[in-house]
Amino acid sequence: MTKKKKVDSLEMMLHRMIDRIRQSLELSVILSSTVAEVRAFLNTDRVKIYQFEADGSGEVVAESVDSQKLSSLLGQHFPAEDIPLEIRELYLRERQRTIVNIASRQIGMSSSVNGNSEAEIKFREVDPCHAEYLVAMGAQSSLVVPIVDRDRLWGLLVSHHSLPQIVTKNELEVVQLIADQTSIAIAQSNLLESTRAQAKQEASINRVGEFLHSMTEMQLQKALKQTVFAVQGSGGRVYITPQNTESEGQLFVSGEQPLLLAQEEENSQSFVPLEKHPSWQTWLKNTLQSRDLALPLAIADFDANPLPSDWKICFKPTRIKSIITIKLEYRQKILGYLSIFRQGIDIETIWAKRPDRDDPRNQFPRKSFEIWRELKQNKARPWTSSEIELAQTLGNHFAIAIYQYQLYQQVRALNASLELRVQERTAELQQANQKLVQEISDRLKTRASLERLSHQNELILNSAGEGIYGLNLEGITTFVNPAAAEILGYGVDELESQPIHEIVNHSTAEGIVYSWQETPIYQTLQTGEIHYITNEIFWRKDRTNFPVEYVSTPIREQEQIVGAVVIFKDITERLIIDRMKDEFVSVVSHELRTPLTSIRSAIGVLSSGRLEPKSSKSQRLLEIALNNSNHLVRLINDILDLERIKSGKVTMLKENHNAADLMTDAVEIVQSMADKAQITISVTPLSVQLWSDRDRLIQTLTNLLSNAIKFSPPHTTVHLDAQLQSDGTIRFEVKDRGRGIPPDSLETIFDRFQQVDASDSRDRGGTGLGLAICRSIVQQHGGQIWVESILGQGSTFCFTLPIGD
Amino acid sequence: MTKTILIIDDDDDIREATQICLEIIGDWKIITASSGREGLQEATNQKPDVILLDVMMPDMDGIETFTQLQANTATQNIPVIFLTAKAQPAEQRQFTQLKVSGVITKPYDPFELSDNITKILG
Repeated sequence: MTKKKKVDSLEMMLHRMIDRIRQSLELSVILSSTVAEVRAFLNTDRVKIYQFEADGSGEVVAESVDSQKLSSLLGQHFPAEDIPLEIRELYLRERQRTIVNIASRQIGMSSSVNGNSEAEIKFREVDPCHAEYLVAMGAQSSLVVPIVDRDRLWGLLVSHHSLPQIVTKNELEVVQLIADQTSIAIAQSNLLESTRAQAKQEASINRVGEFLHSMTEMQLQKALKQTVFAVQGSGGRVYITPQNTESEGQLFVSGEQPLLLAQEEENSQSFVPLEKHPSWQTWLKNTLQSRDLALPLAIADFDANPLPSDWKICFKPTRIKSIITIKLEYRQKILGYLSIFRQGIDIETIWAKRPDRDDPRNQFPRKSFEIWRELKQNKARPWTSSEIELAQTLGNHFAIAIYQYQLYQQVRALNASLELRVQERTAELQQANQKLVQEISDRLKTRASLERLSHQNELILNSAGEGIYGLNLEGITTFVNPAAAEILGYGVDELESQPIHEIVNHSTAEGIVYSWQETPIYQTLQTGEIHYITNEIFWRKDRTNFPVEYVSTPIREQEQIVGAVVIFKDITERLIIDRMKDEFVSVVSHELRTPLTSIRSAIGVLSSGRLEPKSSKSQRLLEIALNNSNHLVRLINDILDLERIKSGKVTMLKENHNAADLMTDAVEIVQSMADKAQITISVTPLSVQLWSDRDRLIQTLTNLLSNAIKFSPPHTTVHLDAQLQSDGTIRFEVKDRGRGIPPDSLETIFDRFQQVDASDSRDRGGTGLGLAICRSIVQQHGGQIWVESILGQGSTFCFTLPIGD
Repeated sequence: MTKTILIIDDDDDIREATQICLEIIGDWKIITASSGREGLQEATNQKPDVILLDVMMPDMDGIETFTQLQANTATQNIPVIFLTAKAQPAEQRQFTQLKVSGVITKPYDPFELSDNITKILG
C-alpha cells in the first residue's frame, strides 16, 4: 500500500467511524464498530475494549478477534490487580499510551496529556512480568490507548497481535483519534442513557402521580405497585399513620413483605406491622441521628448493616436484603412511611482467572487465562443514587397525595355531614312548609268561616229588632246595630267609638245624674255578672227619654272580660199594655169578688142551718152551692196570683227569715186540714237564715203540704224536711205516701191545670194552679222545684232556694 | 149590752147580705152606710164598737175614710176591719201598716168574719 493510499484509507476510516458514532447512539454498536475498524486498520488479531468497574476490576465489553490466531476474551472479567492502581493513574493522568513488542523486549510509552498527541514515543525495556502476561494471553505485540470519559478512566482500547508488530507514531495517533471519538461517543451515550433513565423516572413518577392524584379515589395500591416497579424493588408498602387516637393506621402492601412483629401488651401478645412496632421509631431515631434528615433511610445490605434485633425475625424467612424508607411528610406533618424492599440477587462473574488463587500479593504474572466462573447467590443489590432520588420523589408524591386525600376525605365527611344536615334541614323545612300550607289553608277556611259568620252576625245584628251595642272596658262603643241607632235617634256613625253612657243613660227620668260607675253595665264589665234591667230609661238624641229593658252580658276572651254587649228595647208600649192589663185584672178581681161576696155570705149562712129547718135536698143543694162558691173564690184568687207572679208584677219582698219558723208556720196552717184527713205531719225544722218573701214561701210550703195531705191515705205521715246543701242552697222536701205520679207527668204536673187526674180538682178541691204558683215563686227566688215519685209508693216534692241574696 | 157594728160598703147586696148574716150569727146591732162620708157620719153619731170598712169605694175610698176616722177623736179608737177584694198579701200588708184591726178578703166566710169581730170585741 502506497503512503497516499494509506492516508486515504485512514481518512476514510476516520470519516466512517465518526459517521457511525454520529449515526448510532447505542454504545454497544459504537464499541463493536470501533474494535472492528481499529482491527482492520491495524491489521491485528484481536482488538478489544476493556471497561473498568468502580473497584478497579474490569470486563472486556467489545472485541474483534481472529479466532484462529487468538482466543476471545469478550465478557471476561479481570481483577483490579491485573492493572494496578498506579498504572490506572498513569493512564488517566498522563493519558499514557503503551506499545509493547515482545520480540524486541521493548515498550514504547507516549503521553498525550494536554492534547499533545504529537508527543514522542519513548521506548524502554519491557517489564518481564508484563511481557509474560501478554505472552500468556497469546500476544507478541500490543497497543493500549486509554479511553477517558471526562475525568474518569473509562476503559482501554487494546490491540493484540499474535506476531511481533511495529506500531508507527501515525498509527498511534489514528488510534488515539479513534479512542477520543469513542470517548465522545461514550459521553454521548452516557448522556443518552442518563436522559433515558431520567425520562423513565419521569414516566414512572407520572404514572404513580396519576394513580395518586386522582382526587375522587386515590389508587394507592396501584401507585405502590408502580413505585416498587420503578425503583426496581421486589416489594413495598405504605403505612399511613392514624390521624387521631380513635382511628387505626392503614397498611398497603405490594410484593414480598416482612412478617408481622410480635408486640407485648397487657397480658397478651399481638402481631403488628413493622411501622407500629416500638422498634420502628427507635430505628428511625437512631438512623436519623446519623444521617441527613432530608435523605431517605436506605439500608443497602442487611448483611452489611446490622438490623434491630426484633427485625431479624421478620425478615429472616424472606429474600429481602435491602430496604429504603421514605418518611411521608407534608407541612411538618408525618403522614406515614413508604418502604421499598429489594431481594438479593445471584451474580455470576466470568473471571479471566480464579481470584482466590491469584493472590494480589503474588507479583508473578499469571500463567493462564483459563475462564473461571464465579457465582455469588442472594447478594444485596445496592440502591443507586438515582433510585434513592426517585424513591424520594415518589415519596413526596405519596405524602402530598395522602395529605390531599385525607383533606379530601375530611371535606367529603364534612360534605356528607353538611349534606345530611341540608337533607335534615330540607325535611324540616318541607315539614314546616307543609304545616305552613296547612295553617294557611286552615286560616283561609277559618277566615272564610269568620267572614260568613261575620256576615251572618251582621245580618242578625242588622235585622234584630232590639238595639244592640258592644262596649270595651272603658265603656266606649265597639259596635252599634242599626236598630239601636234608630231607637236612640242617632246614626250608627254617631254612636260608634263613643262613651255611650254619657249619650243615652246619663240621668234618671227625674233628671238626676246617673253616674257610669253606678250602672249595672259597669258592674257587668267589672264582675262579669249578667244584669237584666227593666226599670231604667234611655235618652234619645232629641232629649226625650223612654223606658228601657236591657240585658248586659260580659264579652270574654280566654277567661278575660274584654267588654260587654247590651241588648235593649223600648218598653213604652209594653208598659202601657201592662198597665192596662193590671187595671183589667184589678177590675176583674174586684168585679168578680163583689157579687161573690154576697153569694158566699148568703149561702154560707143558709147552709149553716141557723135559719128554719129545710128539707135534706135543699140543704144538700145549699152545700153544693157553697162548695162551688168556695172553689170559684179559690180559682179567682189563684188565677190572679199566678198571673201577677208570672208577669213579675209581684215583687218578692225578701227579708231574712229563719227557715225553721217558715216551716212550722206552714205546718200550723195546714194542721187542721191534716187532722181532718187523719194525716200526721212530721216536720224537721232547719234553723238557717233564709233571704226570702215570707208569705210567698209559706204559700209554697202550704200548697205542697196540702197537696200531700189531699193525696195521702189516712193514718199515714207527711214529712217536711230541709237540708243545707254544699252549694249554699236549702233543699226543702215534702214527702207523702200517696199514690205517686206517673213518670210522664213528672214535668207537666207543674204546668197550669195539669193535674194527674182531671177529677182531682173537683174531688180534692184543688184549682190545678197550686204547683204552677209554687214553681213561679221558687223561680222568683232563684231556686228550682221538681218532684221525685214512685208510682204506688208516694211522691217527694223538692225545691231549693239560695240562702243569701 | 148589744154591740153595734157599722158596715160601710157601696155595694148594696154586700151590705145587706152581710148585715143579715151577722144578725143571724151574732147578737149584734148592725148599722150600715153606703159611702165613706155617710160612714164617717154614722160613726160619729152612733159610736159603733166595730167598723167593717170596704176599701174600694167611689168618691171617698176606704183608706181615706179610715184616715178621717183616725183624725177624729170621737172615732179614732173604734176598731176597723177592712173588707177588700184585693187579695194580694202585699196589698194586705199595706193595710196592716195603717194599724187596722183586721183585713178580710172578699168574698168571705160570714162565720170567719164573725169570729174576727168576736175576737176584737173581746
